[in-house]
Amino acid sequence: MTTKPRREAAVKRPISITAVVDAVGALAAGNMHGHLYMYDTNKSGGSTGFGTEELQTKARRGDQILWNCLALECEAFVAIDDIIIDRDICEPVRKVYPGTDVAYWTGTVKKDAGPITYQIKFRLGTRDEPITTTLSSSLVG
Amino acid sequence: MPQQLAIIVLVDVSNALASSTLEGNTYLFDNMKLHGSVNQGTGELVTAINGSYWRDGSQASEQVLNWLPYSLGSIPPTVPRGYEVERARQTDEDALAELQELAAKSTVPSADAEAELNRIRRNVGTRVKTTRRTRGRMSGQKIVDVMGQVVTEDATAAASYPAPVITDIYGEAVDSKIMYPAEYGSPDMVTDGWYWSATVDTSRPGTYSYMMRIQLHKLVQTNGELRWDPVNLTCASALKITSEPRRNAFTKAGVGQLPIPATRPGRDA
Repeated sequence: MTTKPRREAAVKRPISITAVVDAVGALAAGNMHGHLYMYDTNKSGGSTGFGTEELQTKARRGDQILWNCLALECEAFVAIDDIIIDRDICEPVRKVYPGTDVAYWTGTVKKDAGPITYQIKFRLGTRDEPITTTLSSSLVG
Repeated sequence: MPQQLAIIVLVDVSNALASSTLEGNTYLFDNMKLHGSVNQGTGELVTAINGSYWRDGSQASEQVLNWLPYSLGSIPPTVPRGYEVERARQTDEDALAELQELAAKSTVPSADAEAELNRIRRNVGTRVKTTRRTRGRMSGQKIVDVMGQVVTEDATAAASYPAPVITDIYGEAVDSKIMYPAEYGSPDMVTDGWYWSATVDTSRPGTYSYMMRIQLHKLVQTNGELRWDPVNLTCASALKITSEPRRNAFTKAGVGQLPIPATRPGRDA
């Protein structure tokens, strides 16, 4: 019997960026500062700033990026409303998991560039207006 | 009974499998930041548990903890339970419809029909083999990528990892009879129906460590068949139990005693 790990084919896993949001804290404060923890799946590729609001994701031209979010309390509603980033570098679009209304945002890095900062607008709870991040995360070429 | 507390165990499954350790690949959260938990969002979380007491000094109640393991960079836990099964069924139905359409329009084999068949084969994805050992949670499911699309055998590098599973909680806090963990079943959609929970004795202040045994799954090919192989790793965390009175969230009266009258209203007045 032969057991071997799956060979890495031409298909590449997207770089997933997950925003963990303390929705209660952010709603109480009216801002995201100190209530947001950012992570990605490219730690081995050189991403830094894990668990902070200033995640620096190592991403090159052609890399597919996927953003989603997670509420720290599983009862709380948290959603990404928009990602504000230079559209010449990456154009995130909102998509949903087929057959559900659970959304994610995805985009492909169009060209290599220095650190490109971006901000995320979050919808939290029943608040009408989205809250935008104060500190920025970035894509680092 | 005080509010139950949740501890989120977020695992970078891909990196943890590659480096065979949860250290540096696990991020822990609880919802007790305002009560003194420290190192939120890191692997060094210390969960603060404030004891609560009646005025005569007796213990008011114990604390209940729940653990929720999530996978970083997989399909999020907010999609419905059994989502992979639903996707497998839907893509089967789509492929069947496409095959019927193909059969109806072409009676002679042609290059076109072959190309069309290949396209359908791609869309229908690949199933994970079911063995007696793996029957249950992930058996017979198709491989789904992180965007919820089924993938074929040659594209499994993009597969979404199943959520980590806590299989045991043990260590100092359990040995010292500070906490009593157990696995419970529930119709909870988020945690696949099973979760670890513990009651904590808040009457003995101190910092107590505990260990979690966590099972990840690695996609392997055995004799040409794909299956999810379990990989067991461990991860440490800690509880800090204090006997300070609770802070009053309504009056924000600080950590001192609450303004309770010495005599009950209506008595001796």
